[in-house]
Amino acid sequence: MKMKNYIYKYAFTVLLGLGVAVSSCDLNVDPRQSIDADLALNTPDGVDAAVNSVYGRLRATNNYGRNLLALSDALADVGRTTSNSGRLIQENNNQPNAHFNSIPANNLSFWQTTYFAINEANLILDAVASGVEGASAAQLARWEGELKFLRALNYFDLAKVYTYIPTAIYQPGLVDEGGIPMPLEGSITSDIAFTRNSPRATIDENYAQIVLDLNEAITALSTSSRAGSQFASVGAAQGLLARVELYRGNWAAARDAATAALASGAGTVLGGMDYVEGWRAQNHPEAMFEVRFQIAGESIGVNESLQSSFTVLLNLDNKNAQGGWGDFVPNQRVLDFFGLAPLQVGDNPDDNNSWDVTRNEDVRAHLYTTGSTVRGSRNIECVKFIAKAGFVYGDNVPVIRKSEMHLIRAEANYQLGNTGDALAELNDFKALRGLEPVTMSGEDILEEILIERFKEFAFEGHRFFDLKRYGRDLDKRYLGPNNFVPFDDFRILPLIPQREVDGNTNLNQNRGY
Amino acid sequence: MRKILLLGLAFLLASATAFAQSRVVTGTVTSGEDGLPIPGASVVVKGTTVGTATDLDGNFSLNVPQGNNTLVFSFVGTEMQEVNIGNRSQVNVVLQPDTRSLEEVIVTGYGTQPKREVTGAVSSVKGELIENLPMQSFDRALQGRAAGVQVRSANGLPGGAVNIRIRGVGSITAGNEPLFIVDGVQLNNAGNASFTQDNPLAFLNPNDIESMEILKDAASAAIYGSQAANGVVIITTKKGKQGKARFEFNAFAGETQPMKILDVLGGDEWYTMRRDGLINAGVGNPQANALNAMGRLPGNWQELGADGLDAIGLGLPTFDWQRQLMGRGRLQNYELNVSGGDDKTTFFISGSYNVQESSFRPVDFERGTFRTALTHKANDRLTLETNINLSTITQNSPFAIDGAFLGNPAFSSSTVLPHNAIFNEDGSYNTNIAGVLNQNVALVNDFNSGTTTTNSIVGNAIANYKILDNLTYRGLVGVDYRMLTENRYRDPRTPDGAGVRGRATAANDWRTRFITTHTLNWNKTFNNVHNLTALVGFEFVSETREGLNAEAIGFPTFQFRYIDSGATPEFVGGFWTGYRRQGVFANANYNYKEKYLFTATARYDGSSRFGANTQYGIFPSVRAGWNIAMEDFLKDSETITDLKLRASWGQSGNDQIGNFAARGLYGAPTAGNYAGNAGIRPTSLANLDLGWETNETVNLGLDFGFFSNRVTGSVDLFDQRTKNLLLNQPILWTNGFSSIANNVGELMNRGVEFEVSTVNIDRSGFSWRTSFNFTYIRNEVISLYDDLDFLPANPGIAVGQPVGNPAFPGDQAPGSHFFAEYAGVNPATGRPMWLDAAGNRTYQPIAADRVYFGSNLAPIYGGLSNTFRYKGFELTAFFTYEYGAVVTDGQYSFMREAGTRLALNTLREVVDRQWTSPGDMTDIPRNVGNSNGGNEVRSQGRNFGTAGLLNADFIRLAQLQFGYSFNPSTLRSLGLTRARVYAQGMNLWTYSNYPGYDPEFVGAGTGQLPIVKSYQIGVQLGF
Repeated sequence: MKMKNYIYKYAFTVLLGLGVAVSSCDLNVDPRQSIDADLALNTPDGVDAAVNSVYGRLRATNNYGRNLLALSDALADVGRTTSNSGRLIQENNNQPNAHFNSIPANNLSFWQTTYFAINEANLILDAVASGVEGASAAQLARWEGELKFLRALNYFDLAKVYTYIPTAIYQPGLVDEGGIPMPLEGSITSDIAFTRNSPRATIDENYAQIVLDLNEAITALSTSSRAGSQFASVGAAQGLLARVELYRGNWAAARDAATAALASGAGTVLGGMDYVEGWRAQNHPEAMFEVRFQIAGESIGVNESLQSSFTVLLNLDNKNAQGGWGDFVPNQRVLDFFGLAPLQVGDNPDDNNSWDVTRNEDVRAHLYTTGSTVRGSRNIECVKFIAKAGFVYGDNVPVIRKSEMHLIRAEANYQLGNTGDALAELNDFKALRGLEPVTMSGEDILEEILIERFKEFAFEGHRFFDLKRYGRDLDKRYLGPNNFVPFDDFRILPLIPQREVDGNTNLNQNRGY
Repeated sequence: MRKILLLGLAFLLASATAFAQSRVVTGTVTSGEDGLPIPGASVVVKGTTVGTATDLDGNFSLNVPQGNNTLVFSFVGTEMQEVNIGNRSQVNVVLQPDTRSLEEVIVTGYGTQPKREVTGAVSSVKGELIENLPMQSFDRALQGRAAGVQVRSANGLPGGAVNIRIRGVGSITAGNEPLFIVDGVQLNNAGNASFTQDNPLAFLNPNDIESMEILKDAASAAIYGSQAANGVVIITTKKGKQGKARFEFNAFAGETQPMKILDVLGGDEWYTMRRDGLINAGVGNPQANALNAMGRLPGNWQELGADGLDAIGLGLPTFDWQRQLMGRGRLQNYELNVSGGDDKTTFFISGSYNVQESSFRPVDFERGTFRTALTHKANDRLTLETNINLSTITQNSPFAIDGAFLGNPAFSSSTVLPHNAIFNEDGSYNTNIAGVLNQNVALVNDFNSGTTTTNSIVGNAIANYKILDNLTYRGLVGVDYRMLTENRYRDPRTPDGAGVRGRATAANDWRTRFITTHTLNWNKTFNNVHNLTALVGFEFVSETREGLNAEAIGFPTFQFRYIDSGATPEFVGGFWTGYRRQGVFANANYNYKEKYLFTATARYDGSSRFGANTQYGIFPSVRAGWNIAMEDFLKDSETITDLKLRASWGQSGNDQIGNFAARGLYGAPTAGNYAGNAGIRPTSLANLDLGWETNETVNLGLDFGFFSNRVTGSVDLFDQRTKNLLLNQPILWTNGFSSIANNVGELMNRGVEFEVSTVNIDRSGFSWRTSFNFTYIRNEVISLYDDLDFLPANPGIAVGQPVGNPAFPGDQAPGSHFFAEYAGVNPATGRPMWLDAAGNRTYQPIAADRVYFGSNLAPIYGGLSNTFRYKGFELTAFFTYEYGAVVTDGQYSFMREAGTRLALNTLREVVDRQWTSPGDMTDIPRNVGNSNGGNEVRSQGRNFGTAGLLNADFIRLAQLQFGYSFNPSTLRSLGLTRARVYAQGMNLWTYSNYPGYDPEFVGAGTGQLPIVKSYQIGVQLGF
């Protein structure tokens, strides 16, 4: 009995002791998947990883993952929707609010991911400017160069979407809602996050900053850069600069940048069937800069990837295999560019593999074929994005192809009055695509260049901005009698996300919203 | 022999034999309730310590000293009885059940209290009320049982999530989950399953529950401090009782059935609808276009002409996809428990097996539980207890638990075009399905598979030590451990698996919660009138959760379904998270003659979730009560038996936010990786001053009992203010973040609760009892920040408006509906119209036309139960009701489109109601087929604004039970002490004008499995 009492007392003491021991526990629990923000950018490896994330943002559905290509072209006069999944219909009909602010399944908007990317770039640039312990001069230069390229690309994409393009600013009276907010300092404290109400800069200030960033990127990257079109390079920066100067109407600068870009080692201009093969390669040989989808886990998926948006095919080997939705297909004008019409090539008309298309001499016609009946009617579809990397729904996305440099230079030369140079370059380019040279003069040359751009970049998201920078109407009466959006219509610009306008007293909404 | 048996039961008061002159008195003690003998009843000679206990047959034999003529009989749960034996040597006694003692002890924070001393707002639900309900978790069973407690099934997944809100929605961003405590172990009720919904509270067989107490006002809950802002539900499980081992066998079996099959169009009807729509829209070749949309346009259509095509369209068959996919499910429950013990040790051991299938195959729930409760009185001072609950649950998961997925049966079965055959003529699945839902959803759900297995241990070890007679120490160590193992396979024979040759996903999730509580309890009575009790305590809780998951694609054949057979890993992931809380607390009760009651509590609590500067908070409360019925002027009143006025004020806290919400962090999400290299990015902004969200409640209550307590009940008025809301304050995206957790704003829940129980008839063996409860709550945002009238990121969260009910833990409150008001269709043209800000009709409302239109949180709800008993027969009818919730139902919205935007099937009532000719007054617009995306040109979509809102009011016969208990005396010969059979139906009848599957759900409503009705028969045996 005594022994038992002893045990009980002992047990009691242990319990009491446990209570006391526990009470001295401190309450701090540190996360294991994250680190404190003020430690993140202190090491070269940390900065390297942070730079990767800025690139990674470009993969988002609302950036190069889909919207900058498919949604842009749906807004323009490139194609029609199939209603297979119901996506892109409103954008294709240019309904009010259906524009770049549409929110895909990941619940982020284009404005949001792009400004997040810019903030990350700003934070790293701030850290690089104040020095990173253990980093070499080459590393510092490369980081600065890559980040300024990325910041320029992001601001350029925002500017071309949310504001008018300098060559065609719609200004009834004195109404000019201006450019986009342009913070250049990182935000990582609640002070800045709560109080910084960035106003809209002028369009001029936007473009000046983008050009400044690109020139600084060229300088820095010429010191040190990484191989591969998935990273920023001198050539990529020159190529982007050429496009920015073209949008800005700085024709001489555009011409010079295009010349420099063509001379750079970034990308190769392809001709003939090599060009078609280029679209079958995992990394497009023409790409001066492309957004990389490295692994199947990074694929956008069956609903919103470029492959799924443009074609119902899973791959080109078997047209009966169920692939994506094929929501957006070429209109008759695009079909006529390339002489595309359905063509039965096999015996059994019910077999999707028995069908292909007729093609004219333009090699780009090989980038189109018939789809399948798995999702509905069999349409002629664009197959620029079709599981090139070996997995579905995650094709690398070329941001700048070197071919564009020829077309930029031709257009710039035309605008500078060098119509002879312009036509010669255009005809050289046409030859690469299997087309006969044309002879023409005056404005016809510009129109031909713009049509060549339309053919070359169909389903790559250029057409909407080409129309916008020349102040042209969106004539989509091929969809229905009322589908006509004049350039003075407010629907040319998207709504700026209402939460941003509500929360920022300095930010004016775009006209009409 | 019998004596030996008795050893275990008898009180060891053998000193009686010391007296010389005595006589032997024998007799039997039986129960007035069922007439059965009571073993273990105490028989004591009044004024002495001489006594004994009855044996197994209720018999006793006692040496009564000379001169003592009064015996005192008592037994737990019965009224004590004194009997003057005179000269008799044979005394038979019938002990009547003591309703007072059964009803009046209420479990409160860290202790119990007689009900008449309770001064807070506490509801109590006894275990027998929820006995044998075919529900997998006890939270579900609380629906309609207690005022102020609103319970909704999230959907019809057996063992799925349950939405429980005590006194409204008190937080916008932080959680609204009450604190659940089972035998002193605080639980986390957030489900973590990836492929289905799991409910952590399903670990406990609801039939193992003795009682549930719900602490509703902040003053009652404040002793739980930081975790108590959303109320506290305290579960007390069944424990062993002294006496011989009693076995109970309990089984029921039955089936579940869909409550409703939606009345959808047939193949020819859909053709007609689309054709006529296209004619309305002026589209050429309407017959051909309609057939094309249905995948039935023949190649030679141009030769056939309109009539020929009509013949095809009007001859299309109809297949019933809903009945193919929805059906009857099994429902079974078997359990056995044994309890008993002696004066030192009592035990309760139970095991159970439960299986329930939903109306959609293969979704089901299968559970085994094992439970042990032991109490051992080591000596006069020390008592040891332990409670261990083991359970294993396996759920077959659906293709998706919600959403507009083609493979989701709850979405597609009612929306797939009806002319598609389910099977080919040879019995194989038809894979050529026309329409936007071009998968055979029956095939998809047959070939795909997924399971979620949850193994859990919830248990505790407790030591009670009596330091002094009036000072007790109690120490508890508890654990809540849960492991989820999940596998899912997308079969390569299905569209989702075809492109990747099969996709397998596996996930594990471990959660470990540790709790230790140490209290000292002291009480003293001064001058027989001043009663004082006090309690101090310390508590520590820690929780960690971690998991691994992976996915692989590229399987050799469909027979290989486990993740290791995949050729290509798609991803490998994992996570770790955790937090800690600790606090000290004190409670003091004082009453004067049990007439004037006062309680004060305080808790000082810290949580690792908060900013470095504000980790600790203090939560005080005071309560007072006045037992008016004990005053002299009412003491002898038969009319007013009980009357108590209560008032309380208190503060409690809420820390249900992310574990690291206050930290400024960089994370490494996979989205940040690039070109095969890891990426890091900022994931949150630091807020060092992030602190408690405080719930402050004033509660006034009145408990009453009239006519010898034939009418009892209570009324409570409360005003609950949640201050310093943990709000995810929006940040401008231009500043790089979406939101930051901050303490801003105030929310109100003000309301009235009413509970009443009556004995309407009780004579000649017939009784009729009724209980009714009613709750009305007004939920309203009082203020936000920066004088904002609404949140920039969510204008539905607006000052003066209710916030709505967040569906799942971690969700933000959805806000009120803020839309342009729908004005029906223009009778002349059939175009939908809305009201603009000036009240004029418009086809294209703009943002400025939006008005507030209520929320999905029902302000009025409750329950009504009627029980009739006659002899052994018993009939119970239990109703629940809700009024005032306004919801959007994604499934209905899709179907309300009447196949215009997408080639989906639709409801017959929608088509019957749609505008067809000038003069029609209706709310469903003219059908325009799929032209212009299914909408009129230059019009908003037909579901825009308030057009798609639904009233989710309902009254439901939630439970109807008819039972018969056999007469105990007949059973004795069979060796049984109890036998009862019953038949029960759940959700048999619902009064509602709801057009979708069912108004009871939370979330978007799209493709959610609706709840089911069920029938069962059961038997309960005691021996």
